[in-house]
Amino acid sequence: MASEFELSRNITIGQYVPTGSYIHRLDPRIKLLVFTILVLAIALNTSYLGNALGLLLSIYLFWASKIPISYGLSGIKPAIPFIIILAVLQLIFQGNVFSGGTLFFEYGFILITSESIRLVIVSAVRFVEIILLSSVLTLSTSTTELTHAIQSLLSPLKKIKFPVHELSLIITIAIRFVPTFAIEMEKMMKAQASRGADFGSGEWWRIIQRTKDMLPIIIPLFNIALSRAEDLILAMESRCYTPGNDRSAYSVYKALGRDYLVLFIGLLLSFLLFFYPFPY
Amino acid sequence: MEPIIALENVSFSYKINETSSVSVLKDVSFSIFPGEYVAIIGHNGSGKSTLSKHLNGLLTPGSGDVWVHGHNTKDDTRKLDIRKAVGMVFQHPDNQIVATIVEEDVAFGLENIGVSREEMKQRIDEALEVVKMSEFRKRPPHHLSGGQKQRVAIAGVLAMQPDCIVFDESTSMLDTFGRNEVLQVMRKMNGMGMTIITVTHRMSEAAEADRIIVVEDGKIVMDGNPQEIFKHKEILMELQLDVPAVSQMAEMVHNQIPIFSNELIQEEELINEVKRVSNARSGEVV
Repeated sequence: MASEFELSRNITIGQYVPTGSYIHRLDPRIKLLVFTILVLAIALNTSYLGNALGLLLSIYLFWASKIPISYGLSGIKPAIPFIIILAVLQLIFQGNVFSGGTLFFEYGFILITSESIRLVIVSAVRFVEIILLSSVLTLSTSTTELTHAIQSLLSPLKKIKFPVHELSLIITIAIRFVPTFAIEMEKMMKAQASRGADFGSGEWWRIIQRTKDMLPIIIPLFNIALSRAEDLILAMESRCYTPGNDRSAYSVYKALGRDYLVLFIGLLLSFLLFFYPFPY
Repeated sequence: MEPIIALENVSFSYKINETSSVSVLKDVSFSIFPGEYVAIIGHNGSGKSTLSKHLNGLLTPGSGDVWVHGHNTKDDTRKLDIRKAVGMVFQHPDNQIVATIVEEDVAFGLENIGVSREEMKQRIDEALEVVKMSEFRKRPPHHLSGGQKQRVAIAGVLAMQPDCIVFDESTSMLDTFGRNEVLQVMRKMNGMGMTIITVTHRMSEAAEADRIIVVEDGKIVMDGNPQEIFKHKEILMELQLDVPAVSQMAEMVHNQIPIFSNELIQEEELINEVKRVSNARSGEVV
């Protein structure tokens, strides 16, 4: 089972699928803004129809960005246990909270009504929609573009002395070091496994045991992270980095007509999901 | 000629706790002049890395002064000028790349010193061209080899157009191939007029330089051109330093065939000497 150590291959954060579609070419600031609003709108919509619309929209976006839907599905897979647990909990405990609707089943405190069933189905679908939407966003936008977008969307906060640039630098460096640490961790796991350490053979539900198994990896990894950070500070200082100084920017984005069109359509859809009284 | 960097009686010690400290540099003085290619050598713990961090004000001396273009590194208001003049490439290729895309990383230093966008583009093009990484400009750095990453780091420093670049053990984490790539870039930049200071414990790398400074126990033991330095084989051995492989080989041949010179450093010199001696010999025999 060599594959159990191949961590760097399984990293999806910062995974970018360059297909050159128009979704890819959108201004990252507008893309981030529209997706955030859409996710919010979907999160607050409780109707069957509204969520069907949201699901269709997220599938359409996958198609439009020419990214294989399997990427989105692989993002849903690890979330399935949570979705199921959530659904069961909601089914058991939420019947009392949402009064109204037809009563289907009653046993002790457990009430299952048409309203609680709606809640269960809608929240499961909603979960899927949000994962799909955020997958489209991250798969079609490079991490560099994303951090630039965050920086530029937050830049009004500079007025209240919020360290916008520092924040985006922190995000960039964090993303930059994810694969580095994954490779580091891989090496350490192999080294320790070759001396008889046992990782990940415990059942998945024995979370505490599995976490304990990881301690001999996590502690040295933490150590390495600190020493790397020290090196990085020296390298950054050598290249004249001064926190709080005004910096010029290499990447500059200019929103085009089609970007504004997407913004308009996105806002319209979100508005619809927020306020339109869907009959079902 | 005005030196770029001048060290005057520099001493430095690391504090261990309130009462005791370890003295690392002891009364070090030397100057680096424009266009020089200097190697600072010494074994582990000799203080050479601490010394290199004094060259651009990452560390400031406990006593004595370091002057870069006449600015004292203790003067905080001049810190940026000093770091613009003296760039530094470090040991670990992974720990000095900040951005997630090669060209963004080269831009990092330029953004810090407020270069305009148009000029940035031009400088990034030029720097990546010098280190031969132009075709990788849109790549994420973690897909590059060690030597390539190190060349990106060099481009990041080069783009800031310093007068001098310090390489602090920059080849020690690389394989032979990566090391040669980086050495080639160093030679090329020196040919373009850049002052190069390389801190190393590899004699073959030191042999590339025009001038070698040998550091031991925080003091300068020898300072001279490679021919002079590698003559003192006994001293180098005592300091746990080696002479380059070429010199060792020349010495071995010299012991058997006295007319074969034992003062060779570069491979090319060795080949020429073999040609010279074999021509002389064939003349003798025939």
